[in-house]
Amino acid sequence: MSTTPTSLSMASRPRRILDFLAHYLFWLLAPVLLLVLALVEPRIASSRNLLNLVTQSSYLAVFASAQMLVILIRGFDLSLGSTVSLISVLTALALTTGLAEAGLPTFWLIAAGVGVGLLAGASVGVFNGFCTAILRVNPFIVTLGSLGIAFGVASMASGGRPVFDLPEAFSEALYSGQVLGLSAPVWIALVLCLALQLMLSRTVFGRSLYLIGSNPRAAEVAGVPVARYVFITYVLASLVVAVGAMMLTGRTSSGEPNLGGSLLLPSIAAAVVGGISLQGGTGGVGNAVMGALFISVLSNGMNLIEVDGYLQDVILGLVILVALYLDRFRKYR
Amino acid sequence: MSTISHTHPKAARHAVLASIGLLPAAIVVIAVVLAYIEPRFLSGQNLLNVLRGAALLMIVAVGQMLVLISRGFDLSVGAVMALASVVSASTMAAFGESLSPGMTSLLGILAGLGAGLLVGLCNGFCVAVLRITPFMVTLATASISGGVALLLTNGIPIYGLPKAFIALGRGSWLGLPAAVYAAAVVVALTVYIQRRTALGVHLYATGGNPHAARVSGLPVLRAQIGVYAASSLLAALAALLLTAQLGSGQGSLGEGMALKSIGAAVIAGVSLQGGVGLAHRVAVGALFMLLLNNAMDLLRIESKAQTIVMGLFIVLVVAVDAYRAKGKSA
Repeated sequence: MSTTPTSLSMASRPRRILDFLAHYLFWLLAPVLLLVLALVEPRIASSRNLLNLVTQSSYLAVFASAQMLVILIRGFDLSLGSTVSLISVLTALALTTGLAEAGLPTFWLIAAGVGVGLLAGASVGVFNGFCTAILRVNPFIVTLGSLGIAFGVASMASGGRPVFDLPEAFSEALYSGQVLGLSAPVWIALVLCLALQLMLSRTVFGRSLYLIGSNPRAAEVAGVPVARYVFITYVLASLVVAVGAMMLTGRTSSGEPNLGGSLLLPSIAAAVVGGISLQGGTGGVGNAVMGALFISVLSNGMNLIEVDGYLQDVILGLVILVALYLDRFRKYR
Repeated sequence: MSTISHTHPKAARHAVLASIGLLPAAIVVIAVVLAYIEPRFLSGQNLLNVLRGAALLMIVAVGQMLVLISRGFDLSVGAVMALASVVSASTMAAFGESLSPGMTSLLGILAGLGAGLLVGLCNGFCVAVLRITPFMVTLATASISGGVALLLTNGIPIYGLPKAFIALGRGSWLGLPAAVYAAAVVVALTVYIQRRTALGVHLYATGGNPHAARVSGLPVLRAQIGVYAASSLLAALAALLLTAQLGSGQGSLGEGMALKSIGAAVIAGVSLQGGVGLAHRVAVGALFMLLLNNAMDLLRIESKAQTIVMGLFIVLVVAVDAYRAKGKSA
């Protein structure tokens, strides 16, 4: 590690510019993109839309943070989208089972719904973590499998139809409520992201994740309980997904079996655009949030200038490829 | 991660043999039990459907196997199928009035295969030259080609295909549909390449130990690009057969194909750690997957429940494989 600064200072100038660009290109591009889009379509710069943009990106920031946690330890979560659907449906079902008629106070009713949502998230996380950390199955296969399982359970539990009639207080708590001028999703995302970042940078567990990601063998030798930490990380990531899923459920005010269908790709795009390396061991919540902002600006802009939804998929795919290509030029310090 | 490939090649071969040994037996057991519970299983129409579905899956799964052998992943097979279907159908619909049916069909087939090949070369280039992680590349290209396919059709099926082309999918020769012959040729050719040619040896070497292969001067780059091109080309071939059978080009073709093809490959003993896998076993794996599907259909298990069973099943198979690999290396 001590040789890094010298080798950096000795690196040629173009090399250093490339390195800088590889790290911060999308961070620089986000305001530029916003500016260009605002010139094309002035509505984008309206304070109403900007506030809307912040709210929109708070959901993606949560999902990208979850994806970041598992990518940090060289893992991956393909099941993110269908986990969101599963949690949305189960939470909504819990909220509408008739507990309200039974005279349960609103606060406890919502607590029960949130509890069920977190529990559903934890179960997916336990499955992913157990298969990955204990059975040592490749994470892509595990999460490809749990993608199918969660999708199946979500569709069966809901009969393929949305679950309506959620208590209004639920949407208020997770969506429409306002504190100090910012809406509930923004506050939830802020608190969650801060907590995650503190955990990553200040706890032994958090620091160990970086070691596991950059060199699992060394982590093992250094006495880090790798299997246990990997397991916990998958559970934690799915819990974070659960929070995001409930925020979205509050927004639609119904449990949707197709809610998460299109979330996987943006969550990955946000993570890689934000500068999280797929080689593991680098990145933090800041990267995920930055990536989420960029992707949100992009899709918000594309929506306002009425780019076809299918074409948006194509563009998102291209953005991912560019971001991954840039990843090669990053020197990690 | 460090436990990969310390297995002795002979031991690995034994592991593969052990896992494949059960598969034909399992197929026979399922078939017999199913025929007993549900006589409809033995109807000519049902058997033909199973066979046709299995043949299409075989074609795609053989391509997936080639990629897996090289230590890659191809998540884009489903989207490539959609793209190839749409591109070939729109080509045929566009030229249908000015050219003879035979020429139109040929042009459509070439366009479909060309679209597949293009995606495959793009995958291969990103993986081999740009060195981007395979599953990310193919996830991104899946989004791109799926998006293009839907963009071209707006989600509406494309009709107006020449009769000669449709006959390719619906007709039968000696009682078997064209897909079965196509699958037989693909499997036989791949087995031949794997067993008898230098290309096959290079492929295994590349996947088994890419670094050693590079140092020994093998054309690793070409092998890597080649497997992705082959995988997409085979997916496009399956898509053309399916398009002919359906009689229309559809942007939603091939959904769930990535999971199914990986499933067929891993139950046939193809290792996710690269360097292991044989085409004829993958063919048996594909037949097994289709039989399982058919069994669940006939027993009226909801299609949603089927995705649960498939997901669990694939994770289980890979878990057993990983457990065995751990035991061997310990």
